[in-house]
Amino acid sequence: MKLLLMMLKNVRRNLIRTILTAIGTMILVLVITGIWSVLEFLDNATSEKSQNIKGIVTERWQIPSQMPMSYARPLEDYSWQGPDNLMTWQFYGGTTDPAKRTFDSVFFAIALEPRKIHTMMDELDTLPPAEKQNLVDIAEKMTLKREGVVVGPGRLKLLKKQVGDRFKVTSFNYRGIDLEFEIVGTFPEGRYDLSAAMNRDYLNDAMDAWTKKAGKPHPMARKTLNLVWFKFPDATVFNDAADKIMNGPDFKEVPVKLETASSGIANFLEAYRDLLWGMRWLLCPAILVTLSMVVANAISISVRERRQELAVMKVLGFVPRQILILVLGEALLLGIFCGGISSSGAYYLVNKVFGGIPFPIAFFGAFKISTHALWWGPAIGATTAFLGSVVPAWSARTVKVSEVFSKVA
Amino acid sequence: MPDFKPPIVQVDQVHKYFKRGGERLDVLSGLSLNVQEGEFVALMGPSGSGKTTLLNLIAGLDTPSEGTIRIGDQVISSMSETQLAKWRTRNIGFVFQFYHLLPVLTAFENVELPMLLLPLSAAQRKQQALNALQLVGLEHRMQHRPGQLSGGQQQRVGIARAIVTDPTLIVADEPTGDLDAKSAVEILDLLCEIRRTLNKTIVLVTHDPRAADRADRILHLEKGKLVSETT
Ligand SMILES: Nc1ncnc2c1ncn2[C@@H]1O[C@H](COP(=O)(O)OP(=O)(O)OP(=O)(O)O)[C@@H](O)[C@H]1O
Ligand SMILES: [Mg+2]
Repeated sequence: MKLLLMMLKNVRRNLIRTILTAIGTMILVLVITGIWSVLEFLDNATSEKSQNIKGIVTERWQIPSQMPMSYARPLEDYSWQGPDNLMTWQFYGGTTDPAKRTFDSVFFAIALEPRKIHTMMDELDTLPPAEKQNLVDIAEKMTLKREGVVVGPGRLKLLKKQVGDRFKVTSFNYRGIDLEFEIVGTFPEGRYDLSAAMNRDYLNDAMDAWTKKAGKPHPMARKTLNLVWFKFPDATVFNDAADKIMNGPDFKEVPVKLETASSGIANFLEAYRDLLWGMRWLLCPAILVTLSMVVANAISISVRERRQELAVMKVLGFVPRQILILVLGEALLLGIFCGGISSSGAYYLVNKVFGGIPFPIAFFGAFKISTHALWWGPAIGATTAFLGSVVPAWSARTVKVSEVFSKVA
Repeated sequence: MPDFKPPIVQVDQVHKYFKRGGERLDVLSGLSLNVQEGEFVALMGPSGSGKTTLLNLIAGLDTPSEGTIRIGDQVISSMSETQLAKWRTRNIGFVFQFYHLLPVLTAFENVELPMLLLPLSAAQRKQQALNALQLVGLEHRMQHRPGQLSGGQQQRVGIARAIVTDPTLIVADEPTGDLDAKSAVEILDLLCEIRRTLNKTIVLVTHDPRAADRADRILHLEKGKLVSETT
């Protein structure tokens, strides 16, 4: 409608003020989008579910947890419906460039059974069929070719390698277990952007070979199992398994515990509780209030400047409601536009260009901007614009024509 | 030949007072006035005598404290603010002393503005706006903003905006008050021509006797009362 065009023209009227307001809005929306993305992710990760529970077995008293790989067999007995719902994780870390050891040359892989990548790993186990098939194929290759690794696209870029390349790794954590890998595929964009996964047999056989050659066990030989994931259908099955594992006779060498993945993460986050509370309940509201005030300030100045113009429009027959809509509309237009630009810009830049917000907390290295941010931005923009402009718009609506002109004429 | 048509403007026993901090300021006291269709009436009087106040009442920008005002067949003195606004769009063309064009809109858009409130198609609006701009001789400047036009030109755009909705009544509050003598004459010529060709009724407030001379009738206002009438 024509009124929309007028709003646009009014927004353009005082370009400097509009740009300053817009920049303010964009920066604040950006900050909020970032914070909310982190909080939303953590909320999801720590919310206890009653169905489809994921559990983690770790060493009971020690972080990092280092259990003997021989635990894997007996643990299968406690897995619901057998070994399919269990996944062992062994961490293998090293560098592709032992001379320099730069950050870019770090190679860190989770050693597991290849087929568990698409059946057990968080998020990868719920991919749509088309994307899943890709991982199925990759797992197949890793089974046949044990030196095969799957690498996240971000890590691939850091390593300056591509699918098909081979490279040697000098290990940090298993001294003397230096392995050569071939990249057979990539993880989808997202959570595993910087991760890599390898076939656990490759690592364990290398360990055995070392033992045979040296004539004594590798110093880390009984410490290679870092954690074990389980899937349970519901809390009853989970609790039963937890009881048995904690009290079972099989795990005497180092005591272990089974907890839900979410409570594991929640325990870890305890340390950050105050920080997260402050972000959620102090920082975010403060930003929203600031933003509303920025808008209120700009709009009330522009209304005051335009009292006469608004009065002229009334003379021409515009009713108070239309004046209200005009002023509110200008603010909303600006708010929605800036909020949208800011959050979708952040979404694109952070996720596609930078690969996440570096906020190292718990097991998560970097956070993606939530897809929800695409509507948070416009929504925050609209809400704050509305709150900021409702008072000035109301005063514009009640401009009394005869009074405005009695001062000029 | 006597004219038996009822007057188009009937102001009957109108009082207007403003309350200022408990004090009551009487601006119009029992004023009555008729204007015939197609008539050109000038209102004169010293500053503060209530000319603008009376004009605002006739134009439906304000309501009288007492008395009735009838324009055509409508009693506007008892309408609500919203009713008045709607009524003004169709019935009143207002010309201001300081033009009061919207600075962000072009001349064309300024003229088009009041028509946005009427059920007209874009094509109809365009046609009518062009006609009005042609009538005031500014069709070649229609894409210019007010800031790019001289005072006289801005006032002509203001007049085009006032006539574009084909209103019953044109009211003008010192339309030449801010113009040099030459531009003022041009604006008055234009008003007279509009009145002649379109047969419009005009009520004009002015301090300028030369402007008033163009009118059929000059009403003199003093302290809220009509004191004399010259024809
Ligand atoms: N909205 C208002 N509130 C209070 N007083 C008002 C208001 N409008 C007008 N007045 C007062 O009413 C009186 C008449 O004002 P008005 O503007 O009608 O005079 P005028 O004849 O048009 O004068 P001028 O020639 O200077 O334009 C003045 O004393 C003015 O202060
Ligand atoms: Mg006046």
